[in-house]
Amino acid sequence: MIVFEHVGKRYGGRSEALADINFRVGRGEMLFLTGHSGAGKSSLLRLVMRLEKPSRGRVLVAGHDLDRFHLSQIPYYRRQIGVVFQDHQLLFDRSVFANVALPLEIQGVEPRESARRVRAALDKVGLLYRETALPIELSSGERQRIGIARAVVNKPSLLLADEPTGNLDPQLSTDIMRLFEDFNRIGTTVMVASHDLALITRLRHRVLRLREGRLVGDEEAT
Amino acid sequence: MTRRTTSSESQRPARRGARASQVGLESRTRAWLRHHRAMWLDSAQRLAKRPLSSLLTMLAIAIALVLPSGLWLALDSARLLDAELDESATVTVYLDTRLDERAAMDVAARLRDQAPVAGARLVTAAEGLAEFQQGVGLEDALASLEDNPLPAAVVVTPADTDPDSVRVLASNLEAVDGVDEARVDLAWLERLRRLAELGQRLALALAGLFGLGVLLVVGNTIRLAVESRRQEIEVVTLIGATHAFVRRPFLYSGAWYGLGGGVLAIILLVLGGHWLSAPVTALAESYGAHFTLPRLGFGGSVLLCFCSTLLGWLGAWLAVGRHLADIKPR
Repeated sequence: MIVFEHVGKRYGGRSEALADINFRVGRGEMLFLTGHSGAGKSSLLRLVMRLEKPSRGRVLVAGHDLDRFHLSQIPYYRRQIGVVFQDHQLLFDRSVFANVALPLEIQGVEPRESARRVRAALDKVGLLYRETALPIELSSGERQRIGIARAVVNKPSLLLADEPTGNLDPQLSTDIMRLFEDFNRIGTTVMVASHDLALITRLRHRVLRLREGRLVGDEEAT
Repeated sequence: MTRRTTSSESQRPARRGARASQVGLESRTRAWLRHHRAMWLDSAQRLAKRPLSSLLTMLAIAIALVLPSGLWLALDSARLLDAELDESATVTVYLDTRLDERAAMDVAARLRDQAPVAGARLVTAAEGLAEFQQGVGLEDALASLEDNPLPAAVVVTPADTDPDSVRVLASNLEAVDGVDEARVDLAWLERLRRLAELGQRLALALAGLFGLGVLLVVGNTIRLAVESRRQEIEVVTLIGATHAFVRRPFLYSGAWYGLGGGVLAIILLVLGGHWLSAPVTALAESYGAHFTLPRLGFGGSVLLCFCSTLLGWLGAWLAVGRHLADIKPR
């Protein structure tokens, strides 16, 4: 599903954010990406989302060389991946329902079909009863679950999450990770960047370890 | 825009896992129209939510539009005046003083048959004298003359009122037997024409400058709108919105600003016209002329609104294009 071949990324004249990264992720796999802040986790995810191009090497997702995409193709590529952000990136001027419906609105899904899928996604994260609420009325754990509902409403084949449990207490963090495992169980490839080592170790999935922009460990699931 | 979306959709890079979004052309067009309708409404609502600042922007656009369109109207009425003047562009042909009345009529008939002549009116020596007396008030001085010193004249109306051809016609008429002199006074007409031409150029230059002003006003307003919705733009870009999708609400806002400005400009022109019409009519009457200020009319109003809407749309397009490039999702 994801292939990194000798990938390097350098920002301006500074030292390399990523250097000679090589790994493969199979379809339907679930894995963690870990390392201290500044180790390159976010840079790596940004390359997969095609927010940036690598300075060296190749990134392939679902068989496509991301470097070859024309600028106008990138939006259509991004519609195939669901992304969960640490700061959830919800729009505060519209309801929970409208937030989750956003990816479908962008794709021009029929309103009735869209409503059905939004409710299914909200139900999955256990927040169907909050659909008319504004994000500001929600707790941070709830907001994160809304972010996840938005990421999966389009049934993406690849789900990326960047520190999805960053601001949550251990119980909520575990709940969130269980949600990701649920989506993985129905065939979604899931890649989660997190520095919460205790949680990651408990979940026993494959772990990619980054340090100062280099891949220093690739531990298989146990 | 549909077509572009369609073609890039068909080149969709990764088809797997997106079966649900593979929809037919018809439903894609419907979705496109739906989004247009939604953004059309949404942008109007956003403007209505901040009525004062929207009104101020529209007023700025209106003021920029009023000056060139007012000048254009004034020129339009000058052109009407010019057409009337064309009819008075005549050649006065003075006949030989030795000709008697009958011979003068013959010459007049011959002149009438010349090629580019629309009409010829004979003014006999006696008639000329009578007119002269009336006009100048020299009855006593003229009465003391034994003979009528004035020649008979034929006032010829040229078929073609272009100054050069009138001049050619005059020299041709001079060659006719029994004609003493053909006189054309075109200098003032030419001067007026040049003034009108200058006015036209001035109006065009002003329209260009103020059109640019409208672009800048709308551009600046849209730039602020883009800035205030930066987070939203970043989020929708992250989840796969095309540039067209992001641009759309701003283009509609720009068009609304333009339309509002156009309508306000029409109101200003109508009010200004009313305010000026009484003194203008009085002034014209003091010269013994009938002149009323021209009106924009329905066609002119529609044209003005169309142009201003287009300018608003274009200003938004330029501003969004420039600022979207700056907005990169974090």
